[in-house]
Amino acid sequence: MKKLLLFLLVALLFGACQKDELSTGQFRFVKPSHFPEPTYTFDINPVTKEGFELGKRIFGDPMLSRDNSVACNNCHVKAVAFADPQHALSLGVDERQGIRNAPGIANMAFMKEFMWDGGVYHLDFAPPNAIENPLEMDEKMANVVWKLNRNSTYPAQFRAAFPEMGDTITSPFVLLALSQYQTMLVSATSKYDYYKLGKGELSANELEGLQLFKQKCAACHSGELFTNQEYRNNGLDTEFSDEGRARITESAADLGKFKVPSLRNVELTDPYMHDGRFNTLEEVLDHYAAGVKQSATLATELRQGDFLGIPLTASEKKLIVDFLKTLTDHEFIQDERF
Amino acid sequence: MKKFLFLSTLLFGVLFFSACKDEEETKDPGTLEVNFDNIAVINNVQQQLSLVTPGSTNYAYTNALGQKFNINLLRYYISAIELDGPNGEHYHDHMEATASGSKGYYLVDESIPASQLILLEDIPAGEYNKITFTVGVDSSGIVNGAAGGSLDPATCHMFWNWNSGYIAVKYEGQSDVSNGGVSGAETVTGDNPHGMAYHIGGWKDIPCGVFVYNNKRLSFTFDTVVKVESKEAPELHMVFDVIKMFGSHHNIDFTGNHNVHKPADGVEVAHNLEHAFDYDHIHQ
Repeated sequence: MKKLLLFLLVALLFGACQKDELSTGQFRFVKPSHFPEPTYTFDINPVTKEGFELGKRIFGDPMLSRDNSVACNNCHVKAVAFADPQHALSLGVDERQGIRNAPGIANMAFMKEFMWDGGVYHLDFAPPNAIENPLEMDEKMANVVWKLNRNSTYPAQFRAAFPEMGDTITSPFVLLALSQYQTMLVSATSKYDYYKLGKGELSANELEGLQLFKQKCAACHSGELFTNQEYRNNGLDTEFSDEGRARITESAADLGKFKVPSLRNVELTDPYMHDGRFNTLEEVLDHYAAGVKQSATLATELRQGDFLGIPLTASEKKLIVDFLKTLTDHEFIQDERF
Repeated sequence: MKKFLFLSTLLFGVLFFSACKDEEETKDPGTLEVNFDNIAVINNVQQQLSLVTPGSTNYAYTNALGQKFNINLLRYYISAIELDGPNGEHYHDHMEATASGSKGYYLVDESIPASQLILLEDIPAGEYNKITFTVGVDSSGIVNGAAGGSLDPATCHMFWNWNSGYIAVKYEGQSDVSNGGVSGAETVTGDNPHGMAYHIGGWKDIPCGVFVYNNKRLSFTFDTVVKVESKEAPELHMVFDVIKMFGSHHNIDFTGNHNVHKPADGVEVAHNLEHAFDYDHIHQ
């Protein structure tokens, strides 16, 4: 009898633990099995429910901008995989126009560098670029910190998320919270992922598109993130009003190069390119098939003898688009946590 | 006999051991106060710097090209300090860059006297005759993400967002030969007709090798030794000469680019830092 009681007690305890683990598991970073190792420093800033929720609140709070009008999620909208749903160039305070298209921010935990020019080396340092840019939120980090400290509820929320913080909110904790939120935005449940993991099927056209994609696009859009995380001049221009990667490396060899973007959720993240010049995937593929322009730094992947670009027939383009749409992750954009 | 040998060995061992222990006990770790005195050497005479209010046309300093200038702001990072002694003594300052605070990264600001005194603690007792430090913040201050204290990007005014990393040395002021047009400065406005801003940064010493690295790791040997132990309170005086910052390896021409905000533009001033910093004296 005693043994039975002990067994029941242990079973109960174990069950309780398991239940706890499941519920906190929802707010823990989990690497999808087919993804590469994350680059983010989770050992220093592990995701907690409190930190994630705080980051989510800050991400959606227009107090980050000078006149309390623009939040992060103005230009990074969940419904379109955290890209800008309409503007080619981001719109900041006073309707000021930025210089680049706001990209989707899924799978940031796996990226080595951030921004179209890769000028940011660690995810924590990405948000101040938008917050302090005069064309975007036009606010000072110090002032954001001041506003947060004056708020009636933020200080307690910060202290709960970061017990090591002390009484006053400081900027690194704001950035850690934002990173906790952003690193959780993992998109790995598209139709393609279910196919990849042997849990779903692609149609015949989609499979054919995947094969074409591997032949013609995967030199740059490689791996499960669909980017080699390098910088390429993809032949948009012959002269470069935006220096791109050269702004960071200060090397003429990088003029007009921009980060090869991930193609996950690409169906949703229009308009395309660093300046949002193309509205549809068809326009993008037309560019690669027949619009690539010669310049000194043009990607070698886009030079095939005398031909510039990627040879693509009309039916091949259509099949590739069919495949690209399998990268749309409906579970991701409907995830209630985000 | 055997017993005697054994006992005497034991006794000798105990004596030897306690002797060693005594020696360690007599000299506990000590401190060294490192002073960074910002100066201008004019006609071989050291003068303490004086900052002017932005817009002032009062020019106290002259560069090697005979161009007059003044200073509104002078600030730099000193980090990763090491001390070495002639008998193998070695000390490496504790380094930490976390959100709760940072250690071993010191922001020296001409307008804040307390920032010019760096107290090194827990230095093993002994004699030291060499200091080594980095001017700037290397990758250790970046690769682990957002940090607080002297590295807090919201309060240090030394952080580049666009090319995320810390400015090593920031100078702002004006010269009567500069034609102004400065952008992105703290104290100098774009409409100042003679403004100048030299923000010297570039920390990426990462393998691909295309980046300009402007942090400098400098070593200085003293003309004497400084004794460190718990009973002493020695002071080391280092100097930073703004005249040499603008004219040693390279003579910086204020009629040229005086709006420096990216690594490649700061290479010459960064090179001059090797001469701008120097050992001065020790108070034992």
